[in-house]
Amino acid sequence: MSTHVAQQPASRHKLVALAGNPNTGKTTLFNALTGYRCRVGNYPGVTVDTRSGQIRSEYGLTPLTLLDLPGTYSLAAHSADEAIVLDALLGELADVDVPDVIVIVIDATNPRANLFLVSQILELNRPTVIALNMVDLAQRSRVHVDAERLSLRLGCPVIPIVATKQKGLALLCQAIDEAVESPSVSMGLDWPYPVMSAVESMHDGLAPVANGKDRSAFNAELLQTLLGDGGYHEQRWGMRCGEDFRSLLREQRKAVVDNGYSLASIEGDVRYAWIDRLIAETVKRDEGRPTGTAKADQILTHRVLGLAILAILMGACFQSIYAWSTPIMDAVDSAIAAGGEMVSAWLPVGPLQSLIVDGAIAGVGAVLVFLPQIVILFLFLAVMEDCGYMSRAAFLLDRWMGLIGLGGKSFIPLLSSFACAVPGILATRTIGDRRARIVTMLIAPLMSCSARLPVYMLFIGAFVPDSQLLGGVIGLQALVLLAMYMVGTVVAILVAMLAKRTILKGDPQPFLMEMPPYRWPKVRTVFHRAYEQAREFCVSAGTIIFAVTVVVWALGYYPHAESIAIAHEAQRQEIVSAHGAAVSQIEQANDIAEDGNTVALDELDLQMNTQLYRIDQDEAGEYLRQSVLGRMGRWIEPVVAPLGWDWRMGTAVLAAFPAREVMIATMGTIYNLGENVDEQSVGLREKLRSSRHPNGQPIYNLPVALSIMVFFALCCQCGGTLAAIKRETRSWRWPIFTFVYMTTLAYLGAWVTFVVASRLFV
Amino acid sequence: MVSQGGRSLRQLRVGDSAYVSAIDNHRTGAKRLADLGFVDGASITMVRCGKPCIVRIDDRLVGLGLGHQEVILLSAASGL
Ligand SMILES: Nc1nc2c(ncn2[C@@H]2O[C@H](COP(=O)(O)OP(=O)(O)O)[C@@H](O)[C@H]2O)c(=O)[nH]1
Repeated sequence: MSTHVAQQPASRHKLVALAGNPNTGKTTLFNALTGYRCRVGNYPGVTVDTRSGQIRSEYGLTPLTLLDLPGTYSLAAHSADEAIVLDALLGELADVDVPDVIVIVIDATNPRANLFLVSQILELNRPTVIALNMVDLAQRSRVHVDAERLSLRLGCPVIPIVATKQKGLALLCQAIDEAVESPSVSMGLDWPYPVMSAVESMHDGLAPVANGKDRSAFNAELLQTLLGDGGYHEQRWGMRCGEDFRSLLREQRKAVVDNGYSLASIEGDVRYAWIDRLIAETVKRDEGRPTGTAKADQILTHRVLGLAILAILMGACFQSIYAWSTPIMDAVDSAIAAGGEMVSAWLPVGPLQSLIVDGAIAGVGAVLVFLPQIVILFLFLAVMEDCGYMSRAAFLLDRWMGLIGLGGKSFIPLLSSFACAVPGILATRTIGDRRARIVTMLIAPLMSCSARLPVYMLFIGAFVPDSQLLGGVIGLQALVLLAMYMVGTVVAILVAMLAKRTILKGDPQPFLMEMPPYRWPKVRTVFHRAYEQAREFCVSAGTIIFAVTVVVWALGYYPHAESIAIAHEAQRQEIVSAHGAAVSQIEQANDIAEDGNTVALDELDLQMNTQLYRIDQDEAGEYLRQSVLGRMGRWIEPVVAPLGWDWRMGTAVLAAFPAREVMIATMGTIYNLGENVDEQSVGLREKLRSSRHPNGQPIYNLPVALSIMVFFALCCQCGGTLAAIKRETRSWRWPIFTFVYMTTLAYLGAWVTFVVASRLFV
Repeated sequence: MVSQGGRSLRQLRVGDSAYVSAIDNHRTGAKRLADLGFVDGASITMVRCGKPCIVRIDDRLVGLGLGHQEVILLSAASGL
């Protein structure tokens, strides 16, 4: 629905919309103009949402707000991200005004392909400025675009720029400034009479419900509705006006077709005929241009070689995540531990100290430890994207993804999901086929995200023997880790196949993707991308995870009955006085030699400290058992017993449902270790190994550990993921479905693992 | 130019060039391809064969799945 406010006060910032094909440098220009850093990538569809920023004052005379739109080849909406563009340009997007000026970024190295969108946008008759970007590359590839003549022919300014070097931006902003005041441009295309008349008839039919839309803009929308068979605009009008609209549309389409025009190609025919005339006048190109991209593609898109290189790249990526992040993780870890100790020393013992040290620092800290891994993973993805390799990966894998009913475009969202499912789910916006998109969202959370890694590390470190296989080529521990990644992937494949055959049936859409020219990744772009991710991650750690941790802490701390403290204090008193008695006894026995004396005293001290420590542990354990969390744990014990878990494990898993990162922190609290427990902490590992049932049986062994890991591999313990699915599908149905199916699979998987492993290993 | 009816992209080998004669209006994705420039008279070059294949149109490399390959009809003459 339109929420556009018709008249603004004069002082309002003018709104400038940035449109263009993917990979034309829109994001780079946006960043250069606003000084605001956002994600840039040499991969179609990276800008999946609109974002806005203020143009830096050094460029603009009047204050301008810049709105970045997703890259698109055409205003015809085939996928979710494309639908946004026309809506935004027409001012039909919620909370966004009609733009005062539209800036179209075009790639000077390939003007013909870019002018299609230009001709569509110019027909909206809005003030428009064209930013002719990448003139540096165009010069190198000997494509010469006569900007002045093009400007004359189009009736709007055409400003040559180099977005990466910030060249021409002042002129561009001046043109934008002037365009705000200038009257709308107009241009003439040779639309065949039957098409014009069909649009007119639809205009007349729908005018009563069009509530005062601008005529040219409305006609442009109607043209896309007329020609876009089954498209987004048709669906939207159909929902608004029902059968009346549908019969009108059918009638008008029939009129066009009966006159011998093809709905699919008429727009292309008309516009490209116009473009070719324009190109003949304004573009000169020399043959024999450099072909670095072609050479690289001979290897990189080769069916066998290309796939091998892709596999090596992925292997290197995961290897580097483990190898490089460990030392950094350790450093972060000790910093957090030091922070906790400092705060402990400062604050008096009590709920406040416990909240800050055990709750906030331990919980959020346990999450921040993954920051290095996430940064490394995103650096890797950013490089692959920025150099243009990502679409090649999608190309190579299209056939393989086809085997499970998905297309190559699903590969990138799934790959990103190995870092975190949330950006993965956002990246599905580039998948045009709605069913394939939903299937991709459903299985994205099964990819082993980085938050699962610490859980695997903890349990593998504690329970899987550190033995070498195949003569030292691979360690058993690494193999189990790999197996955990495989569990999720294999299950995802099965779920996708099943979903595509049942609830989301439909032929996959054929692959269609631009392969952008290879470019050297820009260091700045790549680092900013990683920085953005890191910031987002820290913000989520600081908010949601922090909130969950505090709740878990409170449930585990209260009611904190006084009686427990009194009972344990009495025991401590007893031990201390017994110790005192023993010491004085020894001291009275003067005949013992000096040396022997101190040894005996030291031994007594040690004995007392051990006893006191045990009482502290007991006390903390008692508090926990009496706490709300402990009671909840008891209550769910029968449910988790078949999986081989005890109540503590059940509680930690329960607490980890909003965010699985919470699990280690909760385990730490539960095992009375309080602060800073993560998978590297030998303490928690030892504790898990040595914890015993009342009958002396160990609580944890290999089968239990495997069962827990399989549960984590398959379970959807992530509120962020479910919220993202809800937002993207605009319904509760899919997040609920995802949660239910994954939790069920996780439970069954953990149970089968425990039963089978118990047979094999015990 | 000897017309032998439309050829399909699948008959092109790497390095072959051809002109688009029409796109098959009845297939899904036809408009998408037309918008990208696959219209009557456009010149294309096969860069990598297969399913999907890569063709060059203007200065753009486009990966096309099998379904899209069949939508694009080529004029009979080859070897520009
Ligand atoms: N040489 C050169 N490269 C550019 C220019 N503008 C953008 N790029 C590069 O083109 C690639 C795509 O740019 P991006 O801003 O992500 O395009 P978007 O997809 O339209 O947002 C990036 O690798 C940029 O660094 C330019 O003017 N000159």
